Amino acid sequence: MRLLVIEDNAVLSELLAKGLRAAGYEVDLLATASEARAVLMTTTYAAIILDLGLPDGDGLAILRELRHRKDSTPVLVLTARGGLQDRVSGLRSGADDYMVKPFALEELVARLEAQLRRPGQQLGNSLHIANLEFDLRGRQALIDNQPQVLSSRETEVLELLMRSKGRVVSKKQVEDHIFGLSGDVASNAIEVYVHRLRKQLSDRGAKVTIHTIRGVGYLIAEEKRDPV
Amino acid sequence: MIRFESIISRIVILHVIAVAITSVLMSVALSWLLSVATNNIHNDAMEEQAVSLAEHLGLDADGQLSLHLPPNLQGLYSQPYGRYSYAVVDQAGKTLFSSLKDNAPVFAADPRSATVEFLETNSGDAAISGASVRRIVGGRTVWVQAAEDLANSDVLTDDIVNDFYRHVGWITLPILLLLLVIDIAIFRRALWPLRQASETAQQITPARTDIRLPLKEIPSEVRPLVSAINKALDRLDEGFRLQREFTADAAHELRTPLSILRTRVETLDDPHVAKALLQDIEAMSRVVGQLLDIAELEAFAIDPAEVADLQAATAEVAGFVAPLALEQGREIELLGTTAPVLVKGNAEMIKRAIRNLAENAIRHTPRDTVVEFVVEESGTVSVQDRGPGISGEERELIFHRFWRHDRNSQGSSGLGLSIVQRIAELHGATVEVENRPAGGACFSLHFISAAPYPKS
Repeated sequence: MRLLVIEDNAVLSELLAKGLRAAGYEVDLLATASEARAVLMTTTYAAIILDLGLPDGDGLAILRELRHRKDSTPVLVLTARGGLQDRVSGLRSGADDYMVKPFALEELVARLEAQLRRPGQQLGNSLHIANLEFDLRGRQALIDNQPQVLSSRETEVLELLMRSKGRVVSKKQVEDHIFGLSGDVASNAIEVYVHRLRKQLSDRGAKVTIHTIRGVGYLIAEEKRDPV
Repeated sequence: MIRFESIISRIVILHVIAVAITSVLMSVALSWLLSVATNNIHNDAMEEQAVSLAEHLGLDADGQLSLHLPPNLQGLYSQPYGRYSYAVVDQAGKTLFSSLKDNAPVFAADPRSATVEFLETNSGDAAISGASVRRIVGGRTVWVQAAEDLANSDVLTDDIVNDFYRHVGWITLPILLLLLVIDIAIFRRALWPLRQASETAQQITPARTDIRLPLKEIPSEVRPLVSAINKALDRLDEGFRLQREFTADAAHELRTPLSILRTRVETLDDPHVAKALLQDIEAMSRVVGQLLDIAELEAFAIDPAEVADLQAATAEVAGFVAPLALEQGREIELLGTTAPVLVKGNAEMIKRAIRNLAENAIRHTPRDTVVEFVVEESGTVSVQDRGPGISGEERELIFHRFWRHDRNSQGSSGLGLSIVQRIAELHGATVEVENRPAGGACFSLHFISAAPYPKS
């Protein structure tokens, strides 16, 4: 899968390429907005990593042009500016995700994968946390490579939590994911599904924990061994 | 000295004074002109009467001067009527004929020089005014005097003069007042561009420094003021722009090398060294981020119309910090209302303030304790921990930049609370610090509610 990195700092750009190649991607590097414009007219990439501070123009302009052409290639914006206006305008211009420098390479790869796994995008295999795996194609949970039978509601909750690995999923998001617009959700329905899922996973030896963050939502994470 | 608040009131007051003075002057002038005119009419009439009297002078058979008045003239000059009188005086000053008793002349001292002369005299209370006309009859020079008692003067002219005000003079006042109204209208129209300029100026806030006052239609007298204001705005705008540019440049120059450093360290072979270095880089990145936040806040201004949902902002921050807290063995709970709480302010900035409080709380609360976020309908959010709390003497110090309870503590730059305070200032919000009864600190931010229908 080929990615385009548009970053004017040569050292950072090389390091990014190295990291992304190590994660199994092919990478093209460009340093200016004009080059990027020319290349994007003719070439399609799986995803674009775009630095906003380019020497010959604003990276957001490229993004806007891309979206104007109805090109939905996932774009992950990198910026040195954590500023309020930057953040808002970045997302409004059609960025799929947004990372402020300095970022962890590992997180960049994770977020990129999250984008590539979205429906219609190119990555479609499976999600992992510790010994728990979720096969996105077969919509099947596996513990230690053993397929598990879960109810459809539990499977849906698990998929959502695993897609949002490292992030808190609000109760509202879970409701929307499971019930859509059909409404009619019993107030404790989500709690019940999460409780059941938690029990199923722990009974079957999955080394994961589903944390409840009261008032906020749920978070799936690797089970923590007690600190030494 | 009277001080006028507005140009219009100044104009009205001065105009009213001008109207008062002008109406007095005009009435004086008009009545003077009118009296001159009536006087002329009177003189002309007297001269005419004297001339018509002279026409009836003639010579008798014995060569004596005679005056034969027709009956209508006799009636006019008759004693009972008493309004008009006449006399004919010869060169020696002898009165030849007279309508008066005792054959007296009308005007005693007649200089006998001019062809026609207008004279005035008093007889008792009455003012007598008339004309004296020189005539030569039969080789003898005589002066025919005709006069009118002004006390019995013509009723018509009398009325005109005396009732001038009642009938005509009053018109000057409404005309002048109408002029005043027209003047006010003209001035209001002339000041209209200024009013528009002030409406434009109302929109200028630190968040909208690009607005300039329109010079179009501004009267040339006021134009220097307006362009001076615009230039002052240019300089302010430039200051803000430079500050923003500096922040953006500084961010780029500091964060890009940190990214490079971080990425290099992440690909190191020795995981122990890498872990330690990454912790250092993270601490450094945090300080850089906070310094940039402070720099940005210096040049940031909130649009007064902006409204944010405090509950949603708090929920987002709680969700954002939860993974980190859980990793460090601390829990997060969001309590209080679950309905939107609208407050005045910028959502991103409010999140930043809450996030700084949250990171502070997570750092100070012991393992296996809970950091609680509480949102109240009134527009208050509080972040509560189970840490050591804040001692009385530290309450002011904690908001100072770079202040830390323990100079050697890791992961704290001492900037977080100063950012919180700055954001609170920008929002007109207040920060409160309390110690919880069961131990721990409670930081509260009270924002200005923007609820459309405040609940009582």
